Amino acid sequence: MVILCIENLTKNYKAVKALDSVSFSVPAKTVFGILGPNGSGKTTLLGIVMDVIKASGGTYNWAGNSGEANDFRKKIGTLLETPNFYHYLSAEKNLQIAAKIKGRGEADIEKVLKIVNLYERKNSKFNTFSLGMKQRLAIASALLGDPDILVFDEPTNGLDPAGIAEIRELIKKLYIGGKTIIMASHILDEVEKVCTHVAIIQKGILKSVGSVSDLMNLSTVSTNILIELSATDNTALKNILQQLDGVLSITAFGNDLHINCIESITGEKLNRFCFENGISLNKLHVKRTTLETRFLEITGKQSDK
Amino acid sequence: MINLLKIEWLKIKSYTGFILLASFFAVGVVASNYIVYIFKRNVLDQVEASKLIFSGSPFDFEMVWKTVTYYSSYFLILPALLLVILMANEFNYKTHRQNIIDGLSRYDFLKVKLAIALVFALGSTLIVIITALVFGATSGSSFSVNGFENVGYFFLKASTYNIIAILIALLTKKSGVAIALFFIYTIFENGVSLLLFFLAVKIKKDNHHDFGNLGNYLPMNASDGLLTSPFDQFSGMTRDIIPSDNNKLVLACAIVYIIIFYYWSKIKMMRSDL
Repeated sequence: MVILCIENLTKNYKAVKALDSVSFSVPAKTVFGILGPNGSGKTTLLGIVMDVIKASGGTYNWAGNSGEANDFRKKIGTLLETPNFYHYLSAEKNLQIAAKIKGRGEADIEKVLKIVNLYERKNSKFNTFSLGMKQRLAIASALLGDPDILVFDEPTNGLDPAGIAEIRELIKKLYIGGKTIIMASHILDEVEKVCTHVAIIQKGILKSVGSVSDLMNLSTVSTNILIELSATDNTALKNILQQLDGVLSITAFGNDLHINCIESITGEKLNRFCFENGISLNKLHVKRTTLETRFLEITGKQSDK
Repeated sequence: MINLLKIEWLKIKSYTGFILLASFFAVGVVASNYIVYIFKRNVLDQVEASKLIFSGSPFDFEMVWKTVTYYSSYFLILPALLLVILMANEFNYKTHRQNIIDGLSRYDFLKVKLAIALVFALGSTLIVIITALVFGATSGSSFSVNGFENVGYFFLKASTYNIIAILIALLTKKSGVAIALFFIYTIFENGVSLLLFFLAVKIKKDNHHDFGNLGNYLPMNASDGLLTSPFDQFSGMTRDIIPSDNNKLVLACAIVYIIIFYYWSKIKMMRSDL
C-alpha cells in the first residue's frame, strides 16, 4: 500500500526552482528518509504535501485522498521545520489546541508528554522552554492520537546527544509498531540509523530513491571495504600492501593510508599480513561503505551554496 | 463552527493583551460617555447661550442611542487592534502553519478569524447597548427604541474595523508592521476623507451638485459617517453649504467594502504560501 504518492511536484520561487518534477511513493510501514543538503527542497516538499505551500505544478495524494485532504491530515502527526506553538500558553494548553484541531480527545496529552519527558513541565509556558524542549513538545504534539503516519522534518534539531538517541529510539519503536514515518534530514548518520527507505534530493531534483539497502548495493564501491591504517613508515607499508591480493587502491590521506579492498580482507587478515612482513601497525580502522559514501557519489562532494 | 470557536477561545482567553484591551474598551466606553454627561450637566447646562443651542439631554431616550454609539465608536480601534495582534501572532509564532498541518483547512482558519471579528463586534455592541440603557435609565426619560438604528450602524462600524484589521494582518504577517499600517491607514484615510469633504463642498457651491460627503465613501469613513454627533444642531444652518448625509449610499458602500475585504482575505489565504 502506498501512503504518499508524489507526481512531478514542482515549486518555483521566481527564477529559483526549489523542486523540479519530483516523483516518488512512500510505501506503508516504512521509515522513509528524505535526504538532502541544506536548501535542497526537503522542507518545501513536506510543506506542499501538508498544504502550507502551494505547488507550482504536479500532484500528490495521501493514501488515495487527493488534493488538500484536510481530514486526512488530522490523522498525520507532523513536525515541520520548527516547533510552532503559542508562546504565552503552557505545554498542556498548546497540546489541547492541537488535540481539538485533530478532533482527538485530551486523554492522550499526559501520555505523550511523558513519552518526551515533559510531563513535569506541562504547566510551563512555551516561551520558557529551551530549543530541545520545544522540539520535544513538537514531537509530543505529533504523537497525539497515536497516528499511523508521522512526518518529521529534522526531528533531532536542537536536541542534546541523549535527546537525539531517545528520538531515534522512539522512531524505531514507532516503526516496529507498524507506523509509517516520513523523515526529512540532512544528517546522513541519522537517516542511515533509522530509515528503511530514502529519497535523495539535491537542488530540488530527485537524485535517487529506494530502500536503503538497495541504494547501497547500487554503489560502485559498495561491495568494497575501506580501511584506514598507518604505521611508523607509511612508504614501506604502502609497498607491502601493494603485494596483497584484493587491495584495489591505496591513497595517502594525511598521516594515514586509505585502502579500498574486496570484502574478504578483514582487519585480522590485514594486521597479520603486515606483521608477517615486518610492519607493526599503529592504526587500523575498518569501515564498510556507508550511506555517506553513497550520498557523496550521488550528490558530489561540494556543498550546495 | 462551534468547535472552531472553542479552539479560538482556548487561544484567546489566556492572552494578557485580550484581557487588557477588552477592559480598556469597556472602561473607555463608559468613561467617555460619563465625561460627556458631566460636561453637558456641569458646563453646557450652566451657560445660558449654550442651553439655547444644546437643548435637551443627549442621554434621554431616544437620543441616548445616538450619543452613546457616537462616543463609544472612538474606542472601536481597540478591539480592531486586538484582532491585528491576535492574527499577527499566528504568523509570528507560525501557528497558522501548524493549525493547517494539524488538519484545519485554510478556509476554516480564515472563517473562524472572521467569526471572531464578528463576535468582537457583537461583544462591543452589547457593551454599548448596556451602557446606553444604563445612561438612558438614569436620565429619567422613558424607554424608547427610536434611534436604535444607531446601534446597527455601530455594529457595522465595528465589523468594518475588525475585518480591515484581519486583512491588514493577513497582508503584512508581522505584528509591528500590521499595527503601524493599521494606524497609518486610519490617519491617511481620515486625511483623504477631509480633502474629499472639501471637494464635495466646492462642487456643491460651484456646480450645485450634491454628491454627499465624498469622504464618507471611503472604507473606514463609510461606517464612520453613519454615526453622527448628537450635538449637530448647526447642521440645519449649514445645509446650503455642507453636502447631504446620503446615508443609504454610505450604508451600501460600507456593506460593499465588507464584502470586498472578505473576498480579498479569502483569496490571500487560499492562494498564498503560509
